[in-house]
Amino acid sequence: MLPTNCPSCQAQLKVKCLKCENCQTEVSGSYDLPLLALLPESDQQFILRFVINSGSLKEMASELKLSYPTVRNMLNDIINKIKTDEK
Amino acid sequence: MKSKDFFRLIVNPFTRIAGWQALVLGLVFLVVSGIIGGFGNVVFDGVIDSHLVKQVTMLQSFSYIAISLLTLVLVMWMAGLFIAKGFRFIDILGTMTLSKAPFLLMAIVGYFAKMPDMNEVMKNPMVVFNSMSMVVLMILSIPVLVWSITLMYNALKISSGASGGKLTTVFIIAILASEAISKLMIYFLM
Repeated sequence: MLPTNCPSCQAQLKVKCLKCENCQTEVSGSYDLPLLALLPESDQQFILRFVINSGSLKEMASELKLSYPTVRNMLNDIINKIKTDEK
Repeated sequence: MKSKDFFRLIVNPFTRIAGWQALVLGLVFLVVSGIIGGFGNVVFDGVIDSHLVKQVTMLQSFSYIAISLLTLVLVMWMAGLFIAKGFRFIDILGTMTLSKAPFLLMAIVGYFAKMPDMNEVMKNPMVVFNSMSMVVLMILSIPVLVWSITLMYNALKISSGASGGKLTTVFIIAILASEAISKLMIYFLM
């Protein structure tokens, strides 16, 4: 799991360096983490399953063995988290 | 299943079941409650009420259930609209129907309870404690009421997706309003 917060002060981390495994080139800078990477792993898994299920909450409910409104509430929670992170 | 998971399922089955499934299951519980209540003279004359009466017909038994259920569903649906948006009516209908399932216990125990003579009760109210089944019915009514109200709260919470103080406040108002409306409807229609 990609760390997103500083273990010392809990501030949001930035990407400082990216490396090409092929030619060993390193790109340095200060890049923001993608919005989805800021979400907890469970939420990222949920989004992944949601996309795989063609965005069908009914399919998701069936797969997770949860009721439709429970899955819809989980999605709403993720939407709220993304909206908060966007600000 | 672990006991903790089982307890969670008992007080909030709606994370697993809602919509049409909950409606069908809830109706099965209500129909069985209505039949047993009809034979055992137990009426569900309010959203959170059950009483032992001297005589009740099967038609009256089901009419009481229908009035209290419809009132509960409509009031909770309006409460849901007040605090949330984008939820399905079928979820409110299904989960609220299933939340009345604990009253089946009252119908079963009430079936075996014997209604004491009202003249004797008027003379000496302590006479009701002479009947073991009446005592069991009275004791059982408290956990059944708590269980059913907990289910109704979770039904509104899951179906509407609302949470926090606003949900709690609106739920308390809605449950009191639905109880009062159902009592009035039963008074005027029955």
